[in-house]
Amino acid sequence: MPGPVRNTVDRLDKPSAYYQARNKKRRYRDDDDRERERTPEEPADDPLKDAATLYVGNLSFYTTEEQIHELFAKCGEIKRLIMGLDRFNKTPCGFCFVEYYTHQDALDCMKYIGGTKLDERIIRTDLDPGFQEGRQYGRGKSGGQVRDEYREEYDEGRGGLGRAIQAERLKEEEEYGKGR
Amino acid sequence: MADYDRGPRDGGRGRGNYNNNNRKRRYRDDDDFDRRPQRRRYEEPLSVKVRRQLLSIAESALKRVEDEIVSIAKTVCDNYEDEELRNSFYDLVIQLVVEQPFKTPFVAAVVLVVNTMRAEMVAEILKRATERVNTCVQMGEWRETKLLMKFLGGLQGALEGDGVWLVLQDLLSKAIDLQTENNEETIGPELVKIILFTIPYIMASSATDMQEKAAGMVENADIIASEPHVLQALVDPYPGNGNEEATAPNGVLSLLQKQLQGEAANGWELSCLPRPWKVLLETEQENPLASTTKHPLPAIVIPEAVTAGPRPLFPELYFSVYAHQDVETVPPMTDIASCLLRDALVDTINILDFNRNATARFLIDIDCYFSPDTFVKRATPFDRLRDVEGDKSTWKPEDVAVDAVFSQLFQLPSPEHKLVYYHSILTESCKLAPAAIAPSLGRAIRFLYRNVDSMDLELSYRFMDWFAHHLSNFGFTWKWTEWIDDVELPGTDPKKAFIEGALDKEIRLSFAQRIKGTLPAPYQQLITEGKEKDTPDFKYNDDAVPFAQEGRAILALLKRKAPEDEIQPVIDQIRQLALDMNLPDPLVPSTDAYMTSICYIGSKSLSHVLSSIERCRERLLAIGPRSSDARKQIIDSVMDYWKDQPGIGVNIVDKLLNYTILSPGSVIEWAVSQHGNRLSMSYVYEMVSLTIGKVTGRTRQVVRSSKVPGLTAEQRTLVVQSMQAERKSMKDLFALMEDSLVSWATGSKDQVMQSGDGTSDEEAVIRQWGERWLRVFRRKYAVEEAWFVEVEKVPVIDVAPGEGVLANGNADKVDEVEMKDDGIE
Repeated sequence: MPGPVRNTVDRLDKPSAYYQARNKKRRYRDDDDRERERTPEEPADDPLKDAATLYVGNLSFYTTEEQIHELFAKCGEIKRLIMGLDRFNKTPCGFCFVEYYTHQDALDCMKYIGGTKLDERIIRTDLDPGFQEGRQYGRGKSGGQVRDEYREEYDEGRGGLGRAIQAERLKEEEEYGKGR
Repeated sequence: MADYDRGPRDGGRGRGNYNNNNRKRRYRDDDDFDRRPQRRRYEEPLSVKVRRQLLSIAESALKRVEDEIVSIAKTVCDNYEDEELRNSFYDLVIQLVVEQPFKTPFVAAVVLVVNTMRAEMVAEILKRATERVNTCVQMGEWRETKLLMKFLGGLQGALEGDGVWLVLQDLLSKAIDLQTENNEETIGPELVKIILFTIPYIMASSATDMQEKAAGMVENADIIASEPHVLQALVDPYPGNGNEEATAPNGVLSLLQKQLQGEAANGWELSCLPRPWKVLLETEQENPLASTTKHPLPAIVIPEAVTAGPRPLFPELYFSVYAHQDVETVPPMTDIASCLLRDALVDTINILDFNRNATARFLIDIDCYFSPDTFVKRATPFDRLRDVEGDKSTWKPEDVAVDAVFSQLFQLPSPEHKLVYYHSILTESCKLAPAAIAPSLGRAIRFLYRNVDSMDLELSYRFMDWFAHHLSNFGFTWKWTEWIDDVELPGTDPKKAFIEGALDKEIRLSFAQRIKGTLPAPYQQLITEGKEKDTPDFKYNDDAVPFAQEGRAILALLKRKAPEDEIQPVIDQIRQLALDMNLPDPLVPSTDAYMTSICYIGSKSLSHVLSSIERCRERLLAIGPRSSDARKQIIDSVMDYWKDQPGIGVNIVDKLLNYTILSPGSVIEWAVSQHGNRLSMSYVYEMVSLTIGKVTGRTRQVVRSSKVPGLTAEQRTLVVQSMQAERKSMKDLFALMEDSLVSWATGSKDQVMQSGDGTSDEEAVIRQWGERWLRVFRRKYAVEEAWFVEVEKVPVIDVAPGEGVLANGNADKVDEVEMKDDGIE
């Protein structure tokens, strides 16, 4: 049998373009040399080959562990659930990691739960090579997720406008007040 | 369910295009969406173009499918020299047949047209298809075998002599052999199913003069097909539960058999099947069908020993939520369309689980794939069906599609995929075509609710779980007003239990206040004040509660993470007090105080309670072996603390099982041995089925690991011993359930043990719950036993002494599965 056959419709249990693009970039930067030395017969070891962890995004800040558990347990017993927290306040900032016992459960979750609603928001799931300490914190300047810094749309579940924009407006207002 | 969310996709894009010409960059979106292709357009290879055409065959209602068929066939034949094109065409033909069953007749038509131009290509396709059938038959891939046989059946007109009939004959002989040997086996019926579903596709093909053969085959299959299978009662979705209206279940095989007999008598009209091959008759040539090449069908060999394949086989019943309406919205069970549509739908659904959006698309577009007059126009409201004139069809495509999804959601003992997959298809279908699907779902829900008390208990739980999950995707809107009368029913009534269970599940996915806002006034009382509280009260704050002071002391100690030797004195104090009060087991009240404190400290979230259990793990682990009552008290304390949000309690109990602080037996006893009314609570059922699932899952894993080949004799003895021990404890657990449940079901449970106010009505209701539970867990046990019998059939090859290296390697694998139950790290 030749390699895996392409299905007649796309599969939903593939890593996202985000993950793939990031990986590609990283490879260009870091192991450019190693990449060239590698013979074509031995493909790079896929870190997602047995991934049982999912990154879950676009959660509301108010969504609780219990709510996440209730939904995600529909794909299998959950081994570990790590809430994404604001780096400074240690409050939920809209993402989490869900770890299952098996790779298959994680794939099923991609297929059946990613893109459906939790707490009335469409959530995003992505296969993840595994949680590491430190990754539970937002990487944005103000402590939350980067996407919440400059967001121009008002999103009630995620703290209103982007934080950088809020800060800017506050500053403008203050300056305006002083000028008067 | 009146409101729907439509995706923002269309809106956003439309706006962007409008600004395309003289735009200022205002939003990031403008950049993202409006960018024109910057690379030079390139001509796509022909193979890619043909692939796209073939993939989308029959999908569009705007194109005439006959034209598509001819165009594809012509391109492929005209470019016969293009090897890439040729090979990708061969591959795709077979793959489409096994992945998108709806398209089989259209793909077959392409092949028939190719046969008029490049007959050698058809020989190649037949070669590849039969090779694949042979592989499938070897592996026990019966569904794929069926799909390929349907395709070959559609090509019968291009085959020499008897063609496909010979294969069907071989399958039938095999089935009869199997059944003669043992009429409880399930492969025989599966083979007959392949035969019966292939026949209609032959009869709707371009082949002529087949009536006699078909009738003969149907007649010969009768001894297996019309005999109800012995396991049928096990998987009956509506066992009735004392309800007299319950109807005998309809086995798919016997149903189809009758329908085929009807078709044989009526000249094989098979009106729902499309006949796209008729495009061949449009040529100027005289009798083009007869003049084309006929090919021999390469041999298909049915092996001596056949296997059941990757999925356990059980008799299939025909399930419909739309069978009892005053206007027909789905084909009646007397019409062969009911089985043919269902078969194609169910295969499509189960094969395409890797893309639920594609599946939902197929469901919505079902009318594209069958003959044009099979259905009424999409989204025709139910009330309008009465206006349909004459003998035109009143079948609603969306009802037929939704019915098939429910048949899987309510498949016993279990469907092919996780239940949530079937939830997700209904969600996506509803998003794609809300106006069509939502009213169909509404009618389905009403039917299911009306009959919830005669339904199998496991299925009514699935119904409730789906219902709550579905609503959570659509703003929690449902016309609760129509069930208002049932709010006043007692909690043990199956309808009331459904309402309470569903509301609880809704709250778990959202929060109490939100759900309360979606309910009409009479329901408001069901969302108590306690449910709206994030942190339930600590009962020992009330001095009227026994051991209040000690309870508070323990809480204070645990809060400041005091060492064990400071906690023990308080426990001793409770023990002394309890002895003074002549309480039967002094470890019970101290356990209550301890566990309740843990719950309170951990009330903030699941990870909080886990870390507080983690800290107190040693003491909790020591309780069970000392007193089984105290162990049960752990569950009591958890469930009492979380009485208003039982889902959290169930979750904690589940984790306590992982830590082996609780034993599966203690959970079962807590749930079914003392209080009859617990049987009506959906969360108790949930807790028990989770526990049983954990035990059976573990047992299977141990059994599987005892099957690793290449062990030495001693290693084999060891693994077999541990496997048998595991199986014994599973069996004991089921026996424990059986004992309690039988006494509830027969009413022999000592009613004095209960609160005492049980009226005889109440007793009868509890008896019914007992029966329903019993049926579910007897089935679960039977399924495990059947699974074990199948696994035992697989021979294991061990090494001769001296080949220790390999053996050790495998022994490590055995250790690895020693198991997740040992706790989470």
